[in-house]
Amino acid sequence: MEFEVLMNTVGFPLIKILILLGVVLTCVAYTVYVERRLLGFFQSRLGPNRVGPFGLVQPIADGVKLFLKEDLVPLFARRFIFKLAPIFAMAPALVGFSIVTFAPNWVGADGTEHSFVVADVNIGILFLLAITSLGVFGIILGGWSSGSKYPLFGSLRSASQMLSYEIPLTLSVLAVILMAGSFRLSDITEAQQQFFGTRGLYYIVPLILAFAVYLISAVAETNRTPFDLPEGESEIIGFHTEYSGMRFAFFFMGEYANIVLVSCVGTALFLGGYDIPFVSDAALYASHPQLTSILSLASFAAKCSLFIFFYIWIRATFPRYRYDHLLKIGWKVLLPISLVNLLLVAAIKAWPHFQDWLGGAAG
Amino acid sequence: MQRFLRMITFPELREGLGVTLKWFVRPKVTEVYPDRRPVLPYRTKHRLHVEIETCISCGQCEKACPEGCIKVIKPPKEVFKEDKRPQEFFLSLDHCLYCGQCQDSCPTGSIHHSDEWELAAYSFKEYLFDKETLPYDLEKKRYRENFWGNVEDKTGG
Repeated sequence: MEFEVLMNTVGFPLIKILILLGVVLTCVAYTVYVERRLLGFFQSRLGPNRVGPFGLVQPIADGVKLFLKEDLVPLFARRFIFKLAPIFAMAPALVGFSIVTFAPNWVGADGTEHSFVVADVNIGILFLLAITSLGVFGIILGGWSSGSKYPLFGSLRSASQMLSYEIPLTLSVLAVILMAGSFRLSDITEAQQQFFGTRGLYYIVPLILAFAVYLISAVAETNRTPFDLPEGESEIIGFHTEYSGMRFAFFFMGEYANIVLVSCVGTALFLGGYDIPFVSDAALYASHPQLTSILSLASFAAKCSLFIFFYIWIRATFPRYRYDHLLKIGWKVLLPISLVNLLLVAAIKAWPHFQDWLGGAAG
Repeated sequence: MQRFLRMITFPELREGLGVTLKWFVRPKVTEVYPDRRPVLPYRTKHRLHVEIETCISCGQCEKACPEGCIKVIKPPKEVFKEDKRPQEFFLSLDHCLYCGQCQDSCPTGSIHHSDEWELAAYSFKEYLFDKETLPYDLEKKRYRENFWGNVEDKTGG
């Protein structure tokens, strides 16, 4: 009895966390590989294909290289904060995965259910927004503590960018929350399954505006091209100029973990999450629960991959925005659009109550 | 209204995405060199090859070479009457311009540019050839024969 309680409160979550960390970090490493490979394809090249079959061992080679690199700390850096900043950049992205529901519950042989989520908290989205906001600290602290003026300017740029784009992002997510009526990601997925009959129409259709805003501001949040001013891979000097070796790798992996996270959340919010397209999930889950879990997981992964592919596609296509244009889009275009969209969704959701109220007033 | 439609459908962005997607599905231009060897064009000129057996030590190639990288040494007179093959044939390939004048001037077609093109070496000394090292494995190189036809025909048997 004691053991079971301990297992349910500590053991299973811990195992889930370890599995999730392993999967996510592998995904992050291979997102880097896939991005390089696909960018190569987009530019009529082949990309990295020398290490192992199809270059699949490339992430490991990159990791070994970064591990073996010298880890420099500049003379005038604030040493403690300088070393803390990469962790601040990476940890929030990884913590954010804890609320993402990847599949419906796994029904074991003895009837016990295990959920495909570390913590299915009822304030999931709020928690996620709060945690991902912390990611900007890594950038600010990293740039400031480097003791060099260019990283400082880079971090100032990226701080204002990320703070500006967090608002449209949050507002676009709020529209989904209004539609679904819950902060919990699994509830939102189920609401999408029940939305408009039982199958096939996800929130991307009615909330296309919110989806567009989410897509653009998510690109800006994760510092990707065309909004990659914080780093500016080749031209601008970014916030992590003074970092090398493993600390730089932490920033890098944090960025890619953010991409995977944003793709997962976007999938859950707009693309129906783990719902299997063209199939009535509830009926299938009732008859074959384990098969449904696996298929749902595959469906989620496929949708997430689509999202990431779109990211890479955007990166291969668009040139970088000028800084004032970037802020202008954020404040003058995306924010009004998301506000209007939120208002519309609220009006549609409130319409029945409004009618009741009107009827009551008339009668 | 039309302007508004244009505005919200982002034709420029869609066009850009379409262009990149077109390149995404096209065949790639990268040469996968060691795995897949390139097909050399017709009349390609690479490392010089000399067939010592048919050479008559006339020295025309030596005279024609603008860089002076060929040195033919005739055998002594009494040997030359019987056997016209050169006593020694030196070539310094690092001077070679690949101009093809030696193969144009050769009366017997013994010297010619071959299709052996992987010539990277660690030292310039590896570019110095003599009679022993100058010919290379003929089995591998059929291209030259297609180009020059039969050497016997050219030299009149």
